[in-house]
Amino acid sequence: MDIKRNYYEDIELFKSNTILVWSILFLLFLAVLPWLIVKYHLLGLSIYIVNLITVHAIVAVGLNILVGFTGQISMGHAGFFALGAFSTVILVLNWSMPLFIALPIAGFVSSAFGFILGLPALRLKGPYLAIATLGFGMTITTVIKHMEFFGGRMGLQAPKLELFGTLMKDVHFYYMIMIIAVVMVIGAVKLMKTRVGRAFIAIRDSDIAAEAMGVNLTYYKTLAFAVSAFYTGIAGGLYAFILGFINPESFHLIMSITFLAMVVVGGLGSIMGPICGAALMTFLDIKLQAIQDISLIGPALVAFSQKYMSLAGISNIAVIVYGLIMILIVLFEPLGIFGFWIRTKRYWKTWPF
Amino acid sequence: MVKKNLFGVGLLAFIFFISAPASAAVRGVTDTEILIGQWGPQTGPAAPWGAVARGTDLLVKMINDEGGIHGRKIKYYLRDDSYMPAKTKAIAKEFVEQIGVFAVVGGVGVATGMTARDYLMENKVPWCGPVTGVYEWITPIQKYLFAIYPLYDDEAFNLTGYLYEKLGYKKIAMFYQNDDYGKQGVMGVERYLLKHKIKLVEKVSAEVTDRDLSTHALKLKNSGAEAVIMWTMPTHAALILAETAKIGFKPQWATSNTLSDSALMMGITKGLWAGMINSFFGELPDSNHPLMVKYREAHKKYAPQERWGVFYYAGIIFAEPFFEGLRRAGRNLTPETWISAMETLKNWQGIGPPITYGPPKTPMDRQGGKHVFYGKVRPDGTIERLTDWIQITK
Repeated sequence: MDIKRNYYEDIELFKSNTILVWSILFLLFLAVLPWLIVKYHLLGLSIYIVNLITVHAIVAVGLNILVGFTGQISMGHAGFFALGAFSTVILVLNWSMPLFIALPIAGFVSSAFGFILGLPALRLKGPYLAIATLGFGMTITTVIKHMEFFGGRMGLQAPKLELFGTLMKDVHFYYMIMIIAVVMVIGAVKLMKTRVGRAFIAIRDSDIAAEAMGVNLTYYKTLAFAVSAFYTGIAGGLYAFILGFINPESFHLIMSITFLAMVVVGGLGSIMGPICGAALMTFLDIKLQAIQDISLIGPALVAFSQKYMSLAGISNIAVIVYGLIMILIVLFEPLGIFGFWIRTKRYWKTWPF
Repeated sequence: MVKKNLFGVGLLAFIFFISAPASAAVRGVTDTEILIGQWGPQTGPAAPWGAVARGTDLLVKMINDEGGIHGRKIKYYLRDDSYMPAKTKAIAKEFVEQIGVFAVVGGVGVATGMTARDYLMENKVPWCGPVTGVYEWITPIQKYLFAIYPLYDDEAFNLTGYLYEKLGYKKIAMFYQNDDYGKQGVMGVERYLLKHKIKLVEKVSAEVTDRDLSTHALKLKNSGAEAVIMWTMPTHAALILAETAKIGFKPQWATSNTLSDSALMMGITKGLWAGMINSFFGELPDSNHPLMVKYREAHKKYAPQERWGVFYYAGIIFAEPFFEGLRRAGRNLTPETWISAMETLKNWQGIGPPITYGPPKTPMDRQGGKHVFYGKVRPDGTIERLTDWIQITK
């Protein structure tokens, strides 16, 4: 049951033994996932797609600290993502730093910019903040484009990483990214239970009331931006290496909006929600067009789309289904995927009543 | 009970998604089929270039109706990457790890292709004809990557020479877009000028996001240029032509083969495209070349809904040499036999430039397309061919 008798019970990471057991089982599942994918082609996944999902999940968790917990909005997270990606590659490439040092530095570079972006956020709210952050995201990529230091428009090729003398493959990346992701997700869960996290939530619920209670708005709002940017920067660094090649054009506005959509579809103000959102949206975005390979239905859909929509074929259907799933989730469950989870849990608890 | 049912459903769902991977001696080659794939932006900002991948589909259908190649039909997988590199790499992995293709053909975009290049090469997947003319495909030379598209740099170099030597324009200016594509054009133009110790009278660049080009047009006019080379995307080409026409500046324009879809360009420039000197990497849309006649008939038969434009039949141009390689490799098809076959191509020509990969040597020659030809756009949008194929890459 969710009744807490004292404060220390509330801030525990695992609220009950059941959750502890399930968490361990889930971690075990993550540990054998690459094997399952290689052996059974689970859902048509490849390890690369799971890596991409995990990286997006880190971004979504980070963005959610800002959007879901602090109540600020950002449409410029692709900018932080790009900063993380370019900083990491440059540190490894030009200064031959090992990745595990370059990655946190890139995270801090990104969070420094997050702090700077946090300053105007003190005076801006809602749509105005959205525009300011949107401008930031576009500026970052434009600046990167114009500096030869960042490889200019041609982009940068991420160096090949070695592990004990052999080239790192997707499966090695998987464990590296997954460990970082698990640590960062636990970090986010813990953060929300500290004084800082409580302050974020107070700001979200009412910033005037929070200030009256003694929450320093300047400090906590900029901190929320910095923490969120740190998560995104780390994810960007990992993204550069799983992709192998980055150029500024790839970090566009649509990417920022997709990140935001992951958080909203997953569930604002939760930790598991954005992870599910990132998983669902990344998966659908890449794999939805595989419906054209289903016998009978696939060719029929392609023919339908070419006749009544445009020559692009299955992509038309895929985009529509993708959008429809997003709309339906938000329409029927404003808390997103996390809302479904809460409802299912409640249903089971009271079953059969 | 409910719990049990749920478990059962879960198990069923699990089994449903399990599929045993097929094993074959050579990836993507069976007794009856050859599997190939291509990515292309069917949606998103670059969607017009998606026609390339659909053009390849036309050629595949033709080949299959003629009985395939050495008793094997071609199975073609087209995937939409929306011009997003992360998706392109996912598609490349799907091609190799799940579908198991023999080769990748075509593929629009530099950033998109670059995420997949090393992965394909490490897995020894032949890749024929990326649809961009950049150095990334041939530096460093990759054994399994056969480039076809004439290099932008060499094309700009040669186009400048054509204007300067053949047509006698001494005052040349350049208008380009400020990105990697535009820079490649500038590189070639300046390389030529440096060699002949002359200078551009003006060099004007526009940001991809710029929409007001009036100052750019004025700069070009004040330079007194007789000819202007432009290296831009269609939008900027239309904008600069409109602005220069407004202020009464009418130089001889010249541009690259990426803007060689003159029907499209005439439409968006409202007729200002007439008089443009254009380079081309493939036969003209209304050409009487026997292959073009054959392809146009197939187009009417298999894909009448498509527009017979340059992008569409570029999908044929960049796939033809690949299939020629299959024919020459014979029934015993492996990546190695295909490569040996490709290396026998010497001035082999479909509807694109003559393709030569030369005999095996070090360094290998992997830039197949070395020629373009020039044409001038007539007022009705058709093209007057000015030259035969001209070699631009030595």
